[in-house]
Amino acid sequence: MWQRRAFLKSAGAGFLASLAPRQLLALEANDLVFASSIQTFAGKYGAVLMGERGGVISMIDLPDRGHDITISREAQRGVVFARQPGTFALVFDPFGNEAPQTLTSIEGRHFFGHGVFSPDGRLLYATESDFEAAQGVIGIYDATDDYRRIGEFPTYGTGPHEMLLMPDGTTFVVANGGIETHPDYGRAELNLDTMDPSVVFIDRRDGTLIGQLRLDTGLHQLSIRHMAVDAQNRVWFGCQYKGAPSDSPQLIGYATMDGEIRLIELPLDTLRDLRNYVGSVAASADGNTIAVSSPEGDLLIAIDAENKRPVLVETLRNGCGLAADQSGFVATSGKGEMIGIAGAERSQQQFDFLFDNHMLRLG
Amino acid sequence: MRIFAAIFAALLLVAPASAQIISPSEMLRSSVTNFIRPQTKAFATRTADLSKAMHALCENGDLTGAQDAFAEAAAAYGRIEFLRVGPLMEDNRSDRILFFPDRKGIGLRQVQQLLAEADLTAATVPGLQQKSVAVQGFGALEFVLFGTGFETLTTPEGAFRCAYGAAIAKNLEEMAAEIAAGWADPEGIAKRLTQPDPSYADYRTTTESLEAIVGLVSHGIEGVRDTRINPFIAKADGKANPKQALFWRSNQTLPMLKANFDGLRRLIELSSVVTDPALAQEVTAAFARADAAIALVTSPVEIAVADPTQATALNDLVASTQDLQRLIGEDLSATLGLSVGFSSLDGD
Repeated sequence: MWQRRAFLKSAGAGFLASLAPRQLLALEANDLVFASSIQTFAGKYGAVLMGERGGVISMIDLPDRGHDITISREAQRGVVFARQPGTFALVFDPFGNEAPQTLTSIEGRHFFGHGVFSPDGRLLYATESDFEAAQGVIGIYDATDDYRRIGEFPTYGTGPHEMLLMPDGTTFVVANGGIETHPDYGRAELNLDTMDPSVVFIDRRDGTLIGQLRLDTGLHQLSIRHMAVDAQNRVWFGCQYKGAPSDSPQLIGYATMDGEIRLIELPLDTLRDLRNYVGSVAASADGNTIAVSSPEGDLLIAIDAENKRPVLVETLRNGCGLAADQSGFVATSGKGEMIGIAGAERSQQQFDFLFDNHMLRLG
Repeated sequence: MRIFAAIFAALLLVAPASAQIISPSEMLRSSVTNFIRPQTKAFATRTADLSKAMHALCENGDLTGAQDAFAEAAAAYGRIEFLRVGPLMEDNRSDRILFFPDRKGIGLRQVQQLLAEADLTAATVPGLQQKSVAVQGFGALEFVLFGTGFETLTTPEGAFRCAYGAAIAKNLEEMAAEIAAGWADPEGIAKRLTQPDPSYADYRTTTESLEAIVGLVSHGIEGVRDTRINPFIAKADGKANPKQALFWRSNQTLPMLKANFDGLRRLIELSSVVTDPALAQEVTAAFARADAAIALVTSPVEIAVADPTQATALNDLVASTQDLQRLIGEDLSATLGLSVGFSSLDGD
């Protein structure tokens, strides 16, 4: 509770600052570009950039499985992060003029698959694990100095997963999934009995903890992993449940910078079809609709952010990647499919590679 | 000779598989009736035996009987511990039965502290169940029976230690009975798994149920490699860490691995999920390779990791897990039309 009080106390001035949704950047004018990690049919890993109509613009080889991608127009670079517990991040030039640069996590850290640039593109931040201490950190890299690692902030929890920069440009929101892993034990989850997931707001400038929000203690095995920010600056999150598979706790919720955190009530049949697993969360271009996916349940759900009710439920086999386009969402699958949902005007496409969990819209 | 044995075993497995085509529903039923139910019941029986043996130890000082019963019960668990669905995953039973890996040695410290303080609340099952998961199961009992000070068990000085050990055994017996009952329940998980229905939260279709079975084996193999073998064998820097091995104190590391592979192999065989003869042959050969590697590791792990022949065998065991993961996680999934696949593999 003290953390929540501390949060409320400091939540006054700074946090209500910018309500304008962050402008996504355009690689080329009047054209949307999407990026995703992929696996080829031959089992090789890479990342692709795709045009609005699904044409592949470029493909980059990765040494191992990638996860999310972030991009900065200011830095003129994109970064693919290794899937946890990977130790590489690949910095690439979306225009293809410069050779990619591989970053390696420092001794005692590995990447978690997500990260963001600072608004001016000068700094890159990545969620990482200090695995000896079982604590999450945000690694800080200087994009103006060959991506030298210049420091780190704590994430005030274990197993940080997705991190986002809030529209104010100075606040990070990080989902601490709560699960302890250690490279000595592969991907084994070491602390399911004592998991302590949280959503934290952190000051980008000095790493100060602004607020830490937890769900009810009865839900301590609900790992908070992926997020998207809506038009009202609410941070929508999707969870993965690590308790008994026959339980069906609610999995979608939102947190606010005023210290509110709650799960929304999905109808039970829809909830069951998520199979205790949300793989990706995205906000629509206007920030009024939230889409979530479950590759376990082959399900995509679009939710009205205002009344918190589903407006669309659609199936996509092994569907996980989600990104807003102008009018709806693009969804991709581990079977190589791309479809449009919730108002997106595009026909189904099949690719000759498999999409990984996340899709990024560059602009 | 081992090669001949492997080929012979392969032929045995192929023969029935190629003789008949069995439906996915039959595979599911067979998984439950031929493997899961009998093996969870066997675990319940072995833990009941262990509980009796602990009482005999406390009353008559039969230490060897208790230590043997520990090994039997642990192996019975080793054969089913990969069944990470249903009753094993409820009420934290998996961690309460065996909290491992315990990288920071938290469990050990807690057990030592509890013994030093002679915390009487740990000597009853209800009291024990209120405590940390790490002091409730096999890891704690191994320290009681084989760890520093175990000799006191047969003396008045060890009365508390013995009572605590008996409470752990009783706790294990209770949990094992609950797991067996959970699988035996005709309206429980066995029904949902074998007769999936869109209204169920866990298994909606036959394909999802089959994915669950194949996924359990695939993840089970990965878990054995990542948490039971790799942590203690020599790393790239040449340093092994035998004290990171499960049950090194009781010299049950290899018997436990053997039980793990045995359980995984039996579920694959008894469920008849591998219908393709060529694939069946490869799967059998990979399990045979694992068995052969385990058979070569005859010394306690501390010595085995430093012995070239045994260290090589342990590396070969790791290689067999890689073969098995490819054969079961990829090839078998493909032949069954499952998506134990890319985006849905595990939490990310």
